[in-house]
Amino acid sequence: MSDTTAHQMPLSRRILPIVMLSPAVLVTLAIVFIPMVQALWMSFHDYVLFRPNNFDWVGLKNYITAVNDPVFWTSLRQTAIWIAITVPAQMLLGLVTALLLNQTFPWRGLARALVIIPWALPSVVIALMWVWIYDSNYGVLNDLLLRLDLIKSSIPWLADPDTALYAIILTLTWQGFPFFAVMILAGLQSIPSSYYEAASIDGASPLRQFLHITLPGLSGVLMTATLLRVIWVANSIDVIYVMTGGGPGYSSYTLPLYAFVEARTGLNYGYGSALAVCFTIMLLGFVVLYLRRAGKNIT
Amino acid sequence: MNKRKTTIALATALATSMSMASTVQAETVNFWYHFDNADNPMSTLVDKFEKENPGITINAENVPWNSYYDQLYTSIVASTGPDVALVKLNAQPRLIEMGALEPLDAWLDAWDGTSEIQDNLLELTSAADGSQYYLPVQYVALYLYYRADMFAELELTPPTTCDEFRDAAMALTRDTDGDGQMDVYGFGFRGGKGGHDHWASLTLAREGVGFGAGELTSEGGVAGTQFVLDLFQKDKVFPPSAPNDGFKEVIGAFQNGTTAMTIHHIGSSAGMVEALGDKVSAVPVPECGGGHWTAFGDESTAVFSAAQDKEAAWKWASFLSSAGNNAEFNKATGQLPVTKSDSASWDTHEQRFVDATVNSLPFAQLLPNTTETADFTNTVWPIAMQRALIGEISAADMNAEIDALYND
Repeated sequence: MSDTTAHQMPLSRRILPIVMLSPAVLVTLAIVFIPMVQALWMSFHDYVLFRPNNFDWVGLKNYITAVNDPVFWTSLRQTAIWIAITVPAQMLLGLVTALLLNQTFPWRGLARALVIIPWALPSVVIALMWVWIYDSNYGVLNDLLLRLDLIKSSIPWLADPDTALYAIILTLTWQGFPFFAVMILAGLQSIPSSYYEAASIDGASPLRQFLHITLPGLSGVLMTATLLRVIWVANSIDVIYVMTGGGPGYSSYTLPLYAFVEARTGLNYGYGSALAVCFTIMLLGFVVLYLRRAGKNIT
Repeated sequence: MNKRKTTIALATALATSMSMASTVQAETVNFWYHFDNADNPMSTLVDKFEKENPGITINAENVPWNSYYDQLYTSIVASTGPDVALVKLNAQPRLIEMGALEPLDAWLDAWDGTSEIQDNLLELTSAADGSQYYLPVQYVALYLYYRADMFAELELTPPTTCDEFRDAAMALTRDTDGDGQMDVYGFGFRGGKGGHDHWASLTLAREGVGFGAGELTSEGGVAGTQFVLDLFQKDKVFPPSAPNDGFKEVIGAFQNGTTAMTIHHIGSSAGMVEALGDKVSAVPVPECGGGHWTAFGDESTAVFSAAQDKEAAWKWASFLSSAGNNAEFNKATGQLPVTKSDSASWDTHEQRFVDATVNSLPFAQLLPNTTETADFTNTVWPIAMQRALIGEISAADMNAEIDALYND
């Protein structure tokens, strides 16, 4: 839109978008930005909730404590593992599912509806369900593996520090893959069938068609979905909290969970906020990338 | 004119409804409690109270136990806390520090029911500053549940010392169906939040071991924690899931026969009998290292200083600790009444569990009445215990962390 056109527009027309957007912006300001600024402010203070009258400015002390805190580094390392495995696994599973659902077969509509179920279920329900699946006494997973003779004795998946985090990653992969499946399916349907027809006339094999038509056609969707998922998965603590509470010990702590436990259970809001702010800064790179892409799509 | 009349009428109606709303608000008592029992009959007590006290409405909210104190502390700071709530003694120092509690002394002096409360309970729950902020509502002492049928089958007697306890646990840990898998474990240890009482019975009992400076890091203190770790790591008498197990897992495993012993209190006895009948019995926890320690499980009500109508809040709190009502309340929670007359006529529990409780009272103790105890139970103990169980830290490291919390 050029400047001249903007000037020619009546005032009411120019104000209309602002008026229509302002309720959403105001709500976002109230429930997102104000708490964010508050968290930043708290992170520079020694603020323990059960001493509400002591709110002493400590500058960067909480940040220095974080850098010297071994649990911070353990949580950060586990957050990296958490994102690096969960998001690609969800994407791969989502891609395979979307390719299957894009084929023509009877009851395809039903299959497409069913696949969304893990995504639609509340996280707490999923977490509790998987806690039972993993249970070392009555869990179906151990029972199955024992019957197949793949293991000799039950494995306490969530109580063993070597398996706890990966067991939760599997749960979250199961929960999140429908998001990718639905996004990719929409992307697949936007690729014109004429491309495939032309390629098959030229003698391209299904694999080459996938590599040279499908994947390039999906790259935009994949990129946006992955960026969104990285941000969501990184911040997701509900499933971990319900399944292990971060345990055993610190085995399944991620940085947002550590910030939550420190603030909510430890009531140390100063340090908890500092941890949250550190993680926000780390995530900002992905947020900026996503916003750039989103902005590009709009223009 | 008509328009003006309508406006006046609307304004009057609005003002009236607002004043009515504030009246109702002022006489609503928000009460927080935590019951494990899903079909709890709190509504019966609420109905009875509201009939006896017209004009006061009780808004009773069952808050999940796992996050009870997290919710309580944050809601107090956010000014959305309850007017009356169930509280344990180990939370008292922190609540006093927050200025959240209303002293009950004047009300207690004027209340007929004060003399009805069992001896020492008020003294036991009084604060360090000499004031009374808590009104006891129920109590228990933790004891050892054991599977009488399994003990009989293996010709074992209930353990009275830690050594006997270990021997029994090892004998009871077995593969009963010959598939190469252990299907019974000697002891159901609660390694998750709330399990400090299990550890404490096996550790704090030892001579000279407590929360004082250097006591947990002493030879006896470390030996106590090491004893717990050995039971899991060497003797393998706890289920492999023990580091994460909480209340539900421990009770569930005992009820379905996965474990042969565990520690809990009379509050779970009805469920135990329902699941196991005569196969379950109880004795005091074993004596360890020359001493005896079990947890005294207290529960009181407290009136919060932010309560809108403190008089109404006190009426509800005192109602729950009055003879008759207290019995009803404890039938719901499965614990023991605090009033003398209700205790005298108490026949809700099987005698063997009452005996185990009564026999445990002489050595039942409370955790230190200091602000650190809230951190000990909520974060420091669960994380340190889990890390020790999975071999990340030693018994000495774990005890040093707890010692540092209380004494640095």
